[in-house]
Amino acid sequence: MLAPEPPVTYVETELHRRRRLLLAALAVLALFLLIGLVAVAFGLVAAKRLTVNRTEAYPDIIAHFERGSIGADEGSGMPYWVWQALPRLFPETFGGRLDYRAFGFLYRTDDQGRQEDLPIGISKRDYQGVDLVWFNCAVCHTGTYRTSEGAPRAVVAGMPSNNLDLYRFIRFVLDAGADERLAPDTLIPAMQAAGANLGLIERQVWKFYVIPRVREGFIQRRSRLAPFLAEQAAWGPGRVDTFNPYKLVQMRTPLAAIAPAERHGASDFPSIFNQKPREGMQLHWDGNNSSLKERNLSAALGAGVTPDTVDHAAIERVAAWLGDLRPPPSPHQVDPAAAARGRALYMNACAACHGYQDRGRYVFEGANLGKVDPNSNLQADPGRLDSYTEAFRQRQLAELFAGTPYQFKHFVKTDGYANLPLDALWLRGPYLHNGSVPTLRDLLAPPAQRPAAYVRGIDVIDGKNGGFVSPPCTPGQPLPQGFCYDTRLPGNGNGGHVYGTALPVAEKDDLIAYLLTF
Amino acid sequence: MSEDVIFTPLQFRNLTVKNRIFRSNISGKFDNEDGSLTQTRINWECKFAAGGVGAIISSYVPVLMEGRIIAGYATIHRDDFIPLWKRLGEAVHRFDCKYIMQLSHSGRQMDIPGVHNSHRPALSSTSRKESLHGFLCRAAGKAEIDHLVEAFAAGAWRAREAGLDGVELHAANGYLFTQFLSSGINDRSDEYGGPLQNRARFLLEVIRAIRARVGRDFHLQVKLSAVDRNNVIPWEKKGNVLADTIEVAKWCESEGADAIHVSTGSLFPHPLNPPGDFSFETIATTYDAMISSGVDTFRNFLLFRYRLLRPIFRWIWFRMKKGLPIEGVSLEEARAIKASVVVPVLNTGGYQTASFIRSGIASGAFDGVAIARSLVANNDLVRQWAMGRDRPERPCTYCNKCLLNAPKNPMGCYELARFPSREAMIDELMTIYATRPTLNLPPVVA
Repeated sequence: MLAPEPPVTYVETELHRRRRLLLAALAVLALFLLIGLVAVAFGLVAAKRLTVNRTEAYPDIIAHFERGSIGADEGSGMPYWVWQALPRLFPETFGGRLDYRAFGFLYRTDDQGRQEDLPIGISKRDYQGVDLVWFNCAVCHTGTYRTSEGAPRAVVAGMPSNNLDLYRFIRFVLDAGADERLAPDTLIPAMQAAGANLGLIERQVWKFYVIPRVREGFIQRRSRLAPFLAEQAAWGPGRVDTFNPYKLVQMRTPLAAIAPAERHGASDFPSIFNQKPREGMQLHWDGNNSSLKERNLSAALGAGVTPDTVDHAAIERVAAWLGDLRPPPSPHQVDPAAAARGRALYMNACAACHGYQDRGRYVFEGANLGKVDPNSNLQADPGRLDSYTEAFRQRQLAELFAGTPYQFKHFVKTDGYANLPLDALWLRGPYLHNGSVPTLRDLLAPPAQRPAAYVRGIDVIDGKNGGFVSPPCTPGQPLPQGFCYDTRLPGNGNGGHVYGTALPVAEKDDLIAYLLTF
Repeated sequence: MSEDVIFTPLQFRNLTVKNRIFRSNISGKFDNEDGSLTQTRINWECKFAAGGVGAIISSYVPVLMEGRIIAGYATIHRDDFIPLWKRLGEAVHRFDCKYIMQLSHSGRQMDIPGVHNSHRPALSSTSRKESLHGFLCRAAGKAEIDHLVEAFAAGAWRAREAGLDGVELHAANGYLFTQFLSSGINDRSDEYGGPLQNRARFLLEVIRAIRARVGRDFHLQVKLSAVDRNNVIPWEKKGNVLADTIEVAKWCESEGADAIHVSTGSLFPHPLNPPGDFSFETIATTYDAMISSGVDTFRNFLLFRYRLLRPIFRWIWFRMKKGLPIEGVSLEEARAIKASVVVPVLNTGGYQTASFIRSGIASGAFDGVAIARSLVANNDLVRQWAMGRDRPERPCTYCNKCLLNAPKNPMGCYELARFPSREAMIDELMTIYATRPTLNLPPVVA
């Protein structure tokens, strides 16, 4: 190769030097330009991604109820792939399974008989390029029953989620946030094992942005909620403390500002059939709101929507469907004569407060139906009643959805528990607001004779006593299945509602025969 | 018309010139590459001597090869050139015309460096490139300045040895002395930079050295730019003002200068020197000879060649001329300088009208004028005046085409309108080449 010819003049030498500088400058400029273009391209992709807020619409109403988003996924959710990775990271909690059945979540199977990836009550939403999952209405309002131990399990949309141990699930999530296994180096491989297909850049985004944000959220919720939950008795399956987490998380009330008497509000998930006839009744266990809309929205807040993320249309679609949703008829076989005798007794003593069942249909009639019975009469455990306070009500009315048509107006502070319609009574055990009484028969026993501790979470219906099979148990002793509910713990008391407890045994049998038809 | 002040002898301390008209310094590439002058130059100078001027100020004569403005102009850097210059002096003297050698050094204003200089940056007061063409340069060190001073002294001595009538230091128009004098160019931080006294040090040292070498009785005049107007390129500094130049003129006088020759502008060419037009069509065909000389020359070439770009340079060049006359463009500055010194003052700048010159002398603006272009157009201008004409029949139009042709073509008048035909113009240009020198046969070396 020829050596480059040296320049002849000093001017040329200088011009050569300048051209080299110019070339270098141009190269740098081109590089910057390229970087700029790449940045713009990335920016456009990122902008496209970061503006995404998309969730699947389900034409089928049941699918919408069970899988559709109400906005809680965006408001409170965790990434889908974190959800899917957790069972792999915490096998001791998930019982070695790769799904969430250990917490009592329910899964449907698809056409091919494969279990769906997400349980009933968990919705998915692509928010800013990350699929987020969290609760919808169905998580607390879909339960199962079996007619006998060996019978197939039936899933019933609208009945209380008798299997879901929400307390255990929430404590697990809060603890996971502080667990080293949630670090990107262990979480990302678990996500990939669960099927996440992350590119090089995607992985970095997860490592340095998504996962730290998720953990931050977990840790923040943990710091607000964990000390409180640690103080409460475990709720057990089918139960939730509605308002206290609401105070701590949404309203950021310090734990110290919550009086000890307020702290035990755990109660049963309600059934949500036949909502239309309930309009105007005092809703919630304590009857603190007579507006279905507000009650629904309040429940959605409990599920994790925020005033910013709430999807009113999705909620109203569910509500419209629930308005006329009939429960499955009671499968219990009873002696018609006994039921007739029981009905007479019931009509005389119970119907004014609780309506009645007639020819396979529940009738929403009764002078006191849907009205609050002061707890001075009822004498039920005051935990749930006291957990809803006037101070909290004030903040609810002032802060939630303030300035929107959805602002709360109908919440009231009551002095007792509402007389609830008894439709689908066969699916609603255990009984009383806090589920402290396992069967109808136990409810007709004087409080002192009611089981002090019994097993919840078994979904085999009890054709003799009403409710579900609920054998007695000793707290602290291991169980083959279910959860040992201890009525001696704060908020768990099984006193009150002594109506009918003084009836002779034969009349109780008749009454139960009639109630088993509800 | 012996009472005509133009034809009154001008008495300097050491020199008497028969009239008040000096041929100002102008040259073409008449000479040899080694700096020796040629018959063509003798012919050139004699045209003006024959035309009646009192004295000829030579073209820029470099005292060193590294101070050449355009390769092809004669130099005075070698003793063996003395006989050549002596011959030129003799030729001019035959017309009762004096010959003053303009001692010069280009500094960074080196239009065509030639083989001697193209490989290195020119010496200057500064290392900043020249503003118009981007000529490259390097600030001279103290030893180099001493060497330059000595070169000027030697040049003056050679001029005297050649029997010439005096020397002029070309301390105007952007050449090396201006590069030291101008506050717009000199960025030194040593004793040759900063305040005016420091910036003038190099010039004054040269005058002192010449006096030391040639004595007190040899004519020495200094050509100064009265006002720098260095901001031809708009972001350049303005440079020296008249008050600065008056100071410098007084210092020159006290160091032994016998006359001050007043010009203007810290560049050459400059919008005000030579004053007049700027022919884009001409320079578009000649500037190519300078493209390799500077780092901004190609840019200029584009500005000159392309009509769409010409308004840029037109604005740059013509904005300074507004409201100023062509003839006597720096007359008032000459008057101010003359008022401050005792020695005679010459002025240059478009003089072509006898009555105008007469009134200038009479009003004390100057003692004589130096003329180049008007004499190139009419070599016999002085004779025409002597015969009573106030202005020649075919005057110089100040088109400046002579100037713009200089880097590439023979020196002469290129104003076609002044000639009956193109052939006549070429014939006129060729007159100085109509020589039949004795051609020597080189020795045969065995």
